[in-house]
Amino acid sequence: MTKIILDGREVEADPKKPLIAACHQHAAHVPMYCYHPGLSPVGSCRICQVEVKQGEMPARVTVACRTPVAEGMIVNTEAPKAHEARRQCLEFLLKNHPLDCPICDKAGECDLQDYSFAEGQGQGRSVEPRRKLEKRKSLGDVIVLDQERCILYSRCVRFFEEIPKKAQLTVAGLGSRSYITTFADRPLEGNYQGNVADICPVGALTLKEFRFQARVWNLTKAPSTCGECSRGCSITVEVLRRQEVKRLRPRPNPQVNRYWMCDHGRFSFDGLNTPGRLAGALVRGTRGLEPLEPHTALDALANLMRVHGAPLVVASPWLTQEEGKLLAALAGEATFVSPPPSALKDDLLHTGDPCPNRRGLSELGFAPLAAAEALTKLAGQGFALLVGERIGALLGREALATLPAGLRLVVLDTHPLDVPASELELGVPNAVERTGTWLNVDGIEGRLSIARSAPPGVAPLTRTLEELARRATPAEAAR
Amino acid sequence: MSKLEVLPQKLRDEFTELATHYPLKSSALIPALHRCQEELGGWLTPDILEACAEFFGLEPVEVFGVASFYPMFKLRPVGKHLVSVCHNIACNLRGAEEILAAACQAAGAKPGHVSPDGRFTVERVECQGACTAAPMLVLDGVFHENLTPDQVGTLLGSVK
Amino acid sequence: MTRETYLLSRTALPNSHTLDVYRAHGGYRALEKILKGGYTPAQVIQLVKDSGLRGRGGAGFSTGLKWSFMPDPAKDPRPRYLAVNADESEPGTCKDRVLMEKDPHGLVEGVLIACFAMRVQAAYIYVRGEYRLPHDRVAAAVAEARKAGLVGKNILGTDFSCEIFMHKGAGAYICGEETGLMESLEGKRGHPRPKPPFPAGFGLWGQPTTVNNVETLQNVPFVIDRGPDWFKTMGTPKSPGNVLVGISGHVERPGVYEVPLGLSARTLLEEYAGGIWKGRKLKAWIPGGSSTGLLPASAIDVKMDHDGLREAGSMLGTVSMIFLDETACTVRAMKVISRFYDHESCGQCSQCREGTQWLAQIFARLEHGQGRMEDIELLSSLANGMAPAKTICALADAAAIPTHAIVKNFRAELEAHVTHKGCPLADAHAPHELEEAHA
Repeated sequence: MTKIILDGREVEADPKKPLIAACHQHAAHVPMYCYHPGLSPVGSCRICQVEVKQGEMPARVTVACRTPVAEGMIVNTEAPKAHEARRQCLEFLLKNHPLDCPICDKAGECDLQDYSFAEGQGQGRSVEPRRKLEKRKSLGDVIVLDQERCILYSRCVRFFEEIPKKAQLTVAGLGSRSYITTFADRPLEGNYQGNVADICPVGALTLKEFRFQARVWNLTKAPSTCGECSRGCSITVEVLRRQEVKRLRPRPNPQVNRYWMCDHGRFSFDGLNTPGRLAGALVRGTRGLEPLEPHTALDALANLMRVHGAPLVVASPWLTQEEGKLLAALAGEATFVSPPPSALKDDLLHTGDPCPNRRGLSELGFAPLAAAEALTKLAGQGFALLVGERIGALLGREALATLPAGLRLVVLDTHPLDVPASELELGVPNAVERTGTWLNVDGIEGRLSIARSAPPGVAPLTRTLEELARRATPAEAAR
Repeated sequence: MSKLEVLPQKLRDEFTELATHYPLKSSALIPALHRCQEELGGWLTPDILEACAEFFGLEPVEVFGVASFYPMFKLRPVGKHLVSVCHNIACNLRGAEEILAAACQAAGAKPGHVSPDGRFTVERVECQGACTAAPMLVLDGVFHENLTPDQVGTLLGSVK
Repeated sequence: MTRETYLLSRTALPNSHTLDVYRAHGGYRALEKILKGGYTPAQVIQLVKDSGLRGRGGAGFSTGLKWSFMPDPAKDPRPRYLAVNADESEPGTCKDRVLMEKDPHGLVEGVLIACFAMRVQAAYIYVRGEYRLPHDRVAAAVAEARKAGLVGKNILGTDFSCEIFMHKGAGAYICGEETGLMESLEGKRGHPRPKPPFPAGFGLWGQPTTVNNVETLQNVPFVIDRGPDWFKTMGTPKSPGNVLVGISGHVERPGVYEVPLGLSARTLLEEYAGGIWKGRKLKAWIPGGSSTGLLPASAIDVKMDHDGLREAGSMLGTVSMIFLDETACTVRAMKVISRFYDHESCGQCSQCREGTQWLAQIFARLEHGQGRMEDIELLSSLANGMAPAKTICALADAAAIPTHAIVKNFRAELEAHVTHKGCPLADAHAPHELEEAHA
C-alpha cells in the first residue's frame, strides 16, 4: 500500500488502482461519470478533477481516474481550482442535456442531478438549441434508450465488452453528433442487460420494467440476497410505500457478484408481490379450509407429531440456515426439493442451479429430491410437512392434489395450497420479509433482511418452529 | 447466418494479405472498409459491415462504431459520383461557397443529398490539403484545384 | 543567414519521385553512410539531437530527444514501431503532400534511418485517406526500394531489417493527433488516449512506438549526410534548419516555399507570396495553421520561429500562413474555423465535445446577426473552460486559442457584428450559404 496525503489526512492507497479509488475508499467526495470501479477507466468525462501535488512540481488539477497513486502525493479534493474545473465541466454537460427531470425515472438517483447540485452553477448560459435525437428507443425487452439524455461516457459500451465480453453497444458518429446505439437497431441480447441501467449515470438507459413505476425517494431499501440461483448475488430490495417490491438492484460484493446481477434475478420479484397470501393459519373443516388462530394451529400440529411421530419433511430450497437447523431437529426425515438445472447457466454469474441454499441445507443434512421423487415419497407417508416459500409451486398443485387422503399433510408456505391432503396450513414470510442466511455455491454466506413486513398473522418461520419445538417437549406435552 | 458471401473472394483474399501487415488481424479494418466502399457500390451497407465484422472477428456493432466515426465512410446510399467541396478557411477566403453553389446547381443536388437522377452526391468537406491551390473540389477521389465557378459545370458534365 | 534549400531541391526535377532520379541526386547516401560506416543507433540519435531538429508536425518537440525516449531493447525486448504521421489535416497545411508526391524516397530514407536509430523493425506510414496521389507515390517508392534491397530483410546486406507498410486514414483530423493516429491504425475509432502512458512506453498495440511527421523525417537524411553543423547554419539557434511554409488566402502567389526558420512574416508575405492580392491591404493573418489563431496586421514583423511566435502570443504550428485582406471578415473566418473544430472533435471529453459545438454556434450567430454583446465574454469564458490542458488531447486547446485570439485582437469586429446585427462588410460576402443536410 502507498501512503498519500488526502485532504490533510495520511491514508493508504492501493497502488494497483487509480487515485479516484483511494479517494472514494476514504470518503473523499470526487464526482465521476465515465469511471466505474467495475470497468476499465477511460478519463473522458473530465469531472473527477482533484488537485495533486507531487514532489517539487507545482500543484496541478487533474483527473483522478487516470492518476496513479505515488508515495507522498498530496491530494486536495476540495481545492477551489478543482471545484471550478468541475463546475465548468458541468456547464458543458448540461448544454445539450434535456431538462427531463420531471419525467425521468432516474431523478433522485441521478449523478448529473446530484453533482449539479453539489458542484454546478444555478443557471446555464447557453441559448443554443439542444440536439435532437431519439427519446424512446427500444433496445429490446429490457432497456429503453433516450439518446438526448446520454452524456456519452461509454460505461454501457464498456460493460458489454468487459463483463459478458460481447460488444452490443457503441458510440456512433463523433463529436457533438455522437450517440449510443446497437447495430442496425437490433435489440440487446443476453441475461445481463439490466446492469447498464444501473451504471448509466443519467436517465439515458432505463429499465422498461421500472418505467414510470415509482419515484425513487418513495422506495425503502434493504440489503438482501438474490434467491434465483445458488450464486446468491448481493442485492438491494426496494419497496414502494411499504407494499410492493418495485425493484431489485445489485449490491457490490467483491467475493460474489462484484457490481452485477443477471436479468433473471433482477426481474424475479413479481412472485414476492402475488396477492392472496396465507395470513395466519387454515384448517380443513367440513366446508374446506377455514381460518384458525396460528397458536391453535401450532397446538394441532404438535399434537399430530405426538400421535404420528416426527414427520417426513419436504422443504423448499429457499429455507434459511436458521430455519433449516430448527426444522432438522423436528424432522423424522429431512429432505428438500431440488429443481432441475436451469439453462441460464453461464460463465459469469448464473450457476444453473435454481436453489439459493442447496449447499447450506445439504450441510444441515437435508437430502435433495427431485419433485417427482418427493411426490412418490409423500404418497407412501402417513404424516408429512411441506415447509417453505414456493414449496407448493415446486411440487405442483396438480400433483399434490393427487396425494392420498390417508396422508396427514401440513403445509407452511406463503400462499394457500388447498389440496385434499392438506389439513393444516400456516403462512410463512417470503425472502424479503425475514432475516436469515443462505450459503451460496461457494459456501459464502448471503444475508437476507426485512424489506417489508410480512402480512399480519404471519410470524417468522424460525419463531413458528421454536414454538413447535417448545410444544413438542415432554414438559409441554404433559400439559 | 454468415454474411461473408457479401464480400467477393477477391476482396477477402486482399483482406487476408492486408491483415498480415499487422500483429492484430482486425487492425486492417479501415483499409478494408475503404476497399469495400470502392468496390461494392460507394457506401457501406449493414451487410457489408456485418461481413467485415465476421471476417475480422469483431462484433457488427464495433465495425459500425468505427465506420461511423470517419467522414470518408458513407453509411447511406450515395450518387454515382461523389463531389466534395472544401469549405474550410483557405478555400473559404478564395470563393469556396461559390464553388459549392455551382456544384449544387450543376449536379441538381442540395448539399448532403443525392441528386434526383442518382448521378451525384455533393457534400461539404473540411480541409483537404489543397490550401495553396484554393478553391477546390474532389470528384471521385481526384482533386481539382484552382477552380473558378464556371469550370465546375464542365467538370461535373464530363462524367456520366 | 543563408537561404540554401534542400528539402525541395529535387522536386522540380522530372520524375523526381523515382528511385533513379533520387539516387542520382544524393539519395540513400545517408543510409549507406550509417549502415556501412559502422554507426551505432545511439550515435545516430545523438547526431539528430545535435542538429537541433524540431518536429515539423506542429508541436516543435526536439526530434532527437523524442527518439531517445524509446526504451533500451535489452530492458524492453517487445516489438517496437515507428508511425509516420502523414495525416496532414491542419487547415492551411499542404506541405507534407508536396514531399510525398515529389520526393517520396526522401521519406523512405528518413524512415529507414529513424528505424535504425530506434531499433525499430516495422514502420507504418499513416496517410490521410483523401491523399490518393501522395499515398500512391510513397507506396511506389517503397516498392522500388524493396526491389533494390533497401526495404525488408538485411538492408544493403547488413543485419538491419525494416518493413514499411502503407496505411490509409479515412477523413478524421483527430487522427493526426499521435495517440488518435495509433488508435486509428489499430482499426478503431480515432479516440486520443490519455497521457501518461506515453507512446514510447505504450504505443501501437501497447508496444513502444514513436510518431514522427513526414517533413521532420525528410530532414533526417540531410542531417546525417551533411552533418548537424551544416544544419545549424540555417534557421536560428533554437529553431535550426529550413521549413516548408504554406502560404494561402488573399495573396498574389499562394504556394509551398522552403525557407529558413527565423525570417519575418513580412518577408514571407512580400518576398515569397507577392504580398496581399489585388492591391489590397493586410487585415489579419494566421501564422501556423488554424489552431494558432488570427493575428493583427501589426504583428507582421514577427520572426517566424518557435520563440518569436510564442512571444507574440501565438505558435509556429505547421507554419501554414493564411492571409486576410481588408474586405475579409474575421468573424466569418472564425465561424468557418470554429465549425471545423466542432466537426472534428472526437467527442470523448465533455469540454471539447460540447464546447466546440457551443463556440461554433456562437460564432455562427454573431456572423448571421443574432449575436449579443454578452456572447463576446461568453466566448472567452468557454475557451477558458476548455483549455489549457484540461482534456485528453489538445483539440480543445486548438479551438480555444483562436477564440481567445479574435477576442483579443479583433474585439471591435465582434462588437460591430452585434451592433450592426450582421456583418458590416456584407457587400463583400458571398450570397447566402447553402446549408448542409444533416444525417
